[in-house]
Amino acid sequence: MSELIWLEHYPPGTQPEIAEVPYRNLPDLLRQAAARYADTIAFTHCMPNGMNGSLRFGEVDRLADEFAIYLREVVGLEPGDRVAVQLPNCLSYPVVAFGILKAGCVLANTNPLYTASEMTHQFNDAGARALVIIDMFADRLPEVLPQTQIETVVTVRISEFLPSVIAGIIRATQRYWSRTVPPITVEHTPLQGALAAGRERRQGGSDVDAYLAGIDLDSLAVLQYTGGTTGVSKGAMLSHGNLVSNTLQMLAMCGSYIRPGEETVLTALPLYHVFAFTVNLVGFYYMGARNILIPSPRPPSNLKRALENYPVTWITGVNTLFNALLHERWFLEYPPHALRASAAGGMALHHSVAERWREVTDTPIVEGYGLTESSPVLTFNPLGGTVKDGTIGMPVPSTEVRCVDEAGSPLPPGQAGELVARGPQIMQGYWQQPEETEATLKDGWLHTGDIAEMDEMGYFRIVDRKKDMILVSGFNVYPNEVEERIVELPTVREAGVVAVPDPKTGESVRAYVVADDPAPSEAEILAHCREHLTAYKVPRGVWFVDELPKSPVGKILRKELRKDVAAGSPAAKDPDKRSTTGPSGV
Amino acid sequence: MWNMSLSALAMQAPDPDHEVVTQFEQVMLVALVFVIMFGLGAGLTPRDFISALRRPWGLIIGWVTQFAIMPFLAFLLVLGLILQLEPEFAAPLALGALLMGSVPAGTTSNIFTFFSKGNLGLSLMMTTNSTLWAVVMTPLALLVYGNRFMPADLDLQIPIDNIVVTLVILLVPVAAAMVVRRYSPNVGAVMELMGGFFGLFFIVFLVATWVPRNWILLVGTAWQVYAVAVGLGLFGITIAYWVARAIRLHPKNARTVGLETGIQNGPLAIAIVLLSFPDSPQLGLLLLVPALYSLFIVIVATAVTLYFRRANLGEEQKIPSLL
Repeated sequence: MSELIWLEHYPPGTQPEIAEVPYRNLPDLLRQAAARYADTIAFTHCMPNGMNGSLRFGEVDRLADEFAIYLREVVGLEPGDRVAVQLPNCLSYPVVAFGILKAGCVLANTNPLYTASEMTHQFNDAGARALVIIDMFADRLPEVLPQTQIETVVTVRISEFLPSVIAGIIRATQRYWSRTVPPITVEHTPLQGALAAGRERRQGGSDVDAYLAGIDLDSLAVLQYTGGTTGVSKGAMLSHGNLVSNTLQMLAMCGSYIRPGEETVLTALPLYHVFAFTVNLVGFYYMGARNILIPSPRPPSNLKRALENYPVTWITGVNTLFNALLHERWFLEYPPHALRASAAGGMALHHSVAERWREVTDTPIVEGYGLTESSPVLTFNPLGGTVKDGTIGMPVPSTEVRCVDEAGSPLPPGQAGELVARGPQIMQGYWQQPEETEATLKDGWLHTGDIAEMDEMGYFRIVDRKKDMILVSGFNVYPNEVEERIVELPTVREAGVVAVPDPKTGESVRAYVVADDPAPSEAEILAHCREHLTAYKVPRGVWFVDELPKSPVGKILRKELRKDVAAGSPAAKDPDKRSTTGPSGV
Repeated sequence: MWNMSLSALAMQAPDPDHEVVTQFEQVMLVALVFVIMFGLGAGLTPRDFISALRRPWGLIIGWVTQFAIMPFLAFLLVLGLILQLEPEFAAPLALGALLMGSVPAGTTSNIFTFFSKGNLGLSLMMTTNSTLWAVVMTPLALLVYGNRFMPADLDLQIPIDNIVVTLVILLVPVAAAMVVRRYSPNVGAVMELMGGFFGLFFIVFLVATWVPRNWILLVGTAWQVYAVAVGLGLFGITIAYWVARAIRLHPKNARTVGLETGIQNGPLAIAIVLLSFPDSPQLGLLLLVPALYSLFIVIVATAVTLYFRRANLGEEQKIPSLL
């Protein structure tokens, strides 16, 4: 353990190892939290116009029990059966997710915006027997269901558990105004019906705890799908132990910044994504915090009412979210006054954004790092310790991280190599993908596909994704570095940098830029790059677009930009003639 | 407030059956405006007002467009169009038009600002501000531009109680709604939705009731008068919008300034006429431009709002609004 140099720099009070996990499984942890905070509000769903509804810890626990009973006794699922969930952030999400776990089943998180073919692939891969889906997208089911093994469909309304008048208005708006609820033609059970059935059985003496008899920390809890390092969508198998450990590891790095029973966290990232799942849904819940669930954080003005109406003390997000808020006038004039800290993950937190965030909110923002395959947190800048911008921080307790060369040998500090990690949060493998698993997990080490280097204090810095690296005349160009430089210009809102095949240099650099008002010229951007970057790193072209393709959490999808390159970009070069059909993601 | 406009306009109508606006309609219109303002207020916090004060440019430019540009625009329209008519008609028509250009912004401007996704806090502040200033600025503007059209013995009456009523209708429900929203965001959001809903209803109601009541007036009026009534609102909004854009106000605020400036307090103009010229044989002509303006501004503002909303699409969300 002599190479774990970061341990010397842990903030006071943070142990090098998390204590032996005191819970039998994830529901055990959830239940204890619910008992401790039974009468406090656990979740508040906040619509863009301020309409809202809440559930208390006790209610969430009871409703999740009812759903568990429904799954086991009415549907007849067995322990380990997969249940796919396609829900945006809403009050039903915790009820359904916790219910599945309490039933001893496996939760397969699915992006609700998926197309029919993506759904079919994922449900089949997971072998899902049941599906819980938001009614807005249930019109895809007639196409999807016949090709899968799904026998039971539970439909959820976005307005579930909101006060009845409010729910009625939202329902009417959806049905008659925005027409976002298509008729559902397949056989299904509305969530309230499922819960009622579960409640009835419970009164008849059903015992939820009995479902978990065989479920321990090694049991599979969640199938979390990811493109991973090789691009094929596959399910990372996260066990109860992975998730419980990672929750405790993450909390250890937050010190006294998360006060039990006192925090209000803004949950703008989707809960079906591993970051919000572990950190917000499980982590903050465990600490008795109130989660403010935002169904859609875009446009960022959707967060205005939530930040006005609730004393938000924590914000978790990605660079894109923080950056977007820093471009909103209402946010700049009234930054959340109760805010204590913010945590960024999912993608690199730009130095300029971090600095501006601290300046505007007068609170710390720290960057962490992890992968779906690691539940996800591997490293974190310690709150209460030394925070280093531009780094992903130091490994969380009980975690070993190192940079290795091509041969797999550890590199000394200051040398860049692939980041590999070992710890209790590392997945069990990819679901039914032994070859992919073997390529990623070697001797217990997770190979992340990220190029990183460690400094003398044991802080890590991500150089870039291995596969995003651009090779210009044999020189490595890391898109992150170029993007960081471009967004330093105040007239640039976002930038994405990718490789373009080039007859002379093999590959050349192209920048996609979302301009602010007033828009910069291509020449200005290039001049700025030339000033700060070596010649071969300077983009050969700047393409202005209205928006960059992003993942559900707001990560810029370079692979979509590469597709744009391959398709002979429809995006216009002139900022005044921007394409509206340019790259756009989900 | 619109009850006054309707009852005043009814004087023009030849058929006595249509003359009287019923008590029920009056109460309903006031109640409607009250509900709408309550709904608009439910979307606001004190922060919105403080923000507008912190960047007083919107307010200042709004004041300038309201009391410098609008009366001048009315004056130009009078010069160019009204003076083509017979002098005996032209003088009272011109006075009515100038008055229309010199009154402050009306409550309707807030409703249109809301629908065109402008800055509602700024809009309300601008309406309040211009209404207060009207006590001084409206007579002053009339004096500057309208001297040659005024009868020598004119005793211009600015109805203070009318101004007070405008402010009450504006501020009381807004303040009440802000308090309600503070304690129950749910009730606030429902009121806001209802306010928007009633706002639409209000606009349709105005057009639908005005036209059948006053169709004779529409048929017998010279095109120049139409052009003034329409042009005052349309050019007022357009010029103020581009002035605001030119000094680099945020598009949201520029939309607000445009609508605030172009949408005048028609009922106030009508009340001023009724109080200042109670026995004038030319009362009908004096009221003609304010009356036509009051009708066409609803149509003009609706068209502008639709345009603003379309222009605003880029900022709007692409994901379904409820997800």
